[in-house]
Amino acid sequence: MDFQTAVFYFLSTILVVASLRVITARNPVHAALYLVLSFFTAGGVWMLLRAEFLAIALVLVYVGAVMVLFLFVVMMLDINIERLREGFWANLVPGLIVAGLMLAEMFAVLGAKYFSAGAAPAPEAPAMDYSNTKELGRLIYTEYVYPFELASVILLVAIIAAIALTMRKRKDTKFQEPAKQIAVRREDRVRLVSMPAEKE
Amino acid sequence: MLIEYFPILLFILIGIGFGFVPMIAGKLVGPSKPDPEKLSPYECGFEAFEDTRMKFDVRYYLVAILFILFDLEIAFLFPWAIVLEEIGMFGFVAMMIFLGILVVGFIYEWKKGALDWE
Amino acid sequence: MEALLQPVQALLGAAWVPVWTLVKIFAIILPLMGCVAYLTLAERKIIGWMQVRNGPNRVTFFGIKALGGLAQPIADGLKLLFKEIVLPSASSKTLFVLAPVLALAPSLAAWAVIPFSEGLVLADINAGLLYIMAITSMGVYGVIIAGWASNSKYAFLGSLRSAAQIVAYEIAMGFALVTVLMVSQSLNLSDIVRGQGEGMFANMGLGVLSWNWLPLFPMFIVYFIAGVAETNRSPFDVVEGESEIVAGHMIEYSGMAFALFFLAEYANMILIATLTSIMFLGGWLSPVGFLPDGFHWLAAKSAFCLFFFLWLRATFPRYRYDQIMRLGWKVFIPVTIVWLVFIGGWMMSPLSIWK
Repeated sequence: MDFQTAVFYFLSTILVVASLRVITARNPVHAALYLVLSFFTAGGVWMLLRAEFLAIALVLVYVGAVMVLFLFVVMMLDINIERLREGFWANLVPGLIVAGLMLAEMFAVLGAKYFSAGAAPAPEAPAMDYSNTKELGRLIYTEYVYPFELASVILLVAIIAAIALTMRKRKDTKFQEPAKQIAVRREDRVRLVSMPAEKE
Repeated sequence: MLIEYFPILLFILIGIGFGFVPMIAGKLVGPSKPDPEKLSPYECGFEAFEDTRMKFDVRYYLVAILFILFDLEIAFLFPWAIVLEEIGMFGFVAMMIFLGILVVGFIYEWKKGALDWE
Repeated sequence: MEALLQPVQALLGAAWVPVWTLVKIFAIILPLMGCVAYLTLAERKIIGWMQVRNGPNRVTFFGIKALGGLAQPIADGLKLLFKEIVLPSASSKTLFVLAPVLALAPSLAAWAVIPFSEGLVLADINAGLLYIMAITSMGVYGVIIAGWASNSKYAFLGSLRSAAQIVAYEIAMGFALVTVLMVSQSLNLSDIVRGQGEGMFANMGLGVLSWNWLPLFPMFIVYFIAGVAETNRSPFDVVEGESEIVAGHMIEYSGMAFALFFLAEYANMILIATLTSIMFLGGWLSPVGFLPDGFHWLAAKSAFCLFFFLWLRATFPRYRYDQIMRLGWKVFIPVTIVWLVFIGGWMMSPLSIWK
């Protein structure tokens, strides 16, 4: 077993254990943190496949951004564990059906003769100055420009949806416009009034 | 290529180890005299009267969602930036359309007041 | 040097590579820790002088008067070591202990790809800058977990503020870095530095004018200020605003656990200063043609940037939270997008200076 294989098994063990803990941990915050660990080690496994850009982008986007949101959500919603348990038996049947369907789909894709990993020949070892990111760049913005522009439309929809779903105007807060505050001059606030002295 | 990442793997492990060593040293060398007052959460002179893990302003979620979207945008910009001279005008225009669509989203959130804090 | 190492190499055999890498890693981390310790002293001294007072001047080595204050960081470190690490009863113990480690580890691991001089870099990876972005974005977990695990309201509020703030400035930082990538056409930090040593002014012997800070001036400013905000330094230190939330996420920490947060903050400051020097100030390159390049230039430039961190702290009052968010989202992001488009257009035009 060479060193690379050893690293693969090391990372995979962490990945499998962490993923199992995601669904078995009782505390949702712990589960979310195990998910962070899974993403991080998955990035490591991708790196072993020489997918440099994707591996680091996985860490950058999922660990650095998506999981921060997840943590925000699970930390701040006070989740009542007891109440969650109540619906367990009622939800079991649809849950199992969905799980079974997903499993079948995965088999169809990964297990099929033509799609399985063995069908494609192993890629040649790239040259020393090979840059994964550059190769991606050469393709995404020329050959795959149409899906690339579609991605921006999807992101736009996501921005609008996020605002439509979570934007609430609170009425009890006092909003201040910093630009106006800075622009204030003495004349706006101070008025000198000359008053004659008054006698009692 | 992978050989270049070996020092990084080692560095991450050392970095984690470097955090634990002072903690353990502090635990071993420092005193440990717990008492209930010392171990209670810090409050300004009162007893804590509410659980800390309270519901929070939804605005923080919105910021986090918007951050994800912009972070994705930056992830798309990285490969583009380093091949810009090779892909030339075509790639430049492609990215300008991409950015243009997202700037529409940015203007929308600005006008909707999603970026206002008080 | 080579001849000296040869017998050791033969002795260790296959274990040579990991052992030698470990030696190199410690050759980075230990001086870095020294810098962190003396940065705290420099901060107190410089702010002291700016406010016309002396700063620490009592603790000395072996009673030599002239060294007054120089042993202060060591005394501070020892004091913290001998303090109790309090584990609050309401906290989640494991995460409480893990949080400072998670804060420190990314700020150290990022140093793996920093080029100190021509060819002097631990891991010369192609995706260096991407790695830095990814690893520094993990620093936010230390803060979030510390706030949540402490189970104290001040800590929780502090960690929320910090997370939202870091997140807002990370975008501006990312856009600023993209413009650097555009002009250098590489993610490799050494290549980014080398690219700054070429061009019209560099050929005239005035390297200082061919560095990125000049054509990317707005990005340079945005990057540096975003860096100050990312490290939660004054004037963006609402996270630990002592008049409101005492010490933010660090409130329940004591002794060495607290020291780790401190180490992480200062290591991050040095990292941001070094990255600014590498990406905008020409890294190890000499500003003028007749002086040799070398590590001393990078050190001098980083020290210059670090001085700005301290100067800002001595000069500005703390920003209000809504102003911080406004600066991040409504000023920096539009500025960076506009400059990105401008630089792109410049590169496409015949006037491009980066061909």
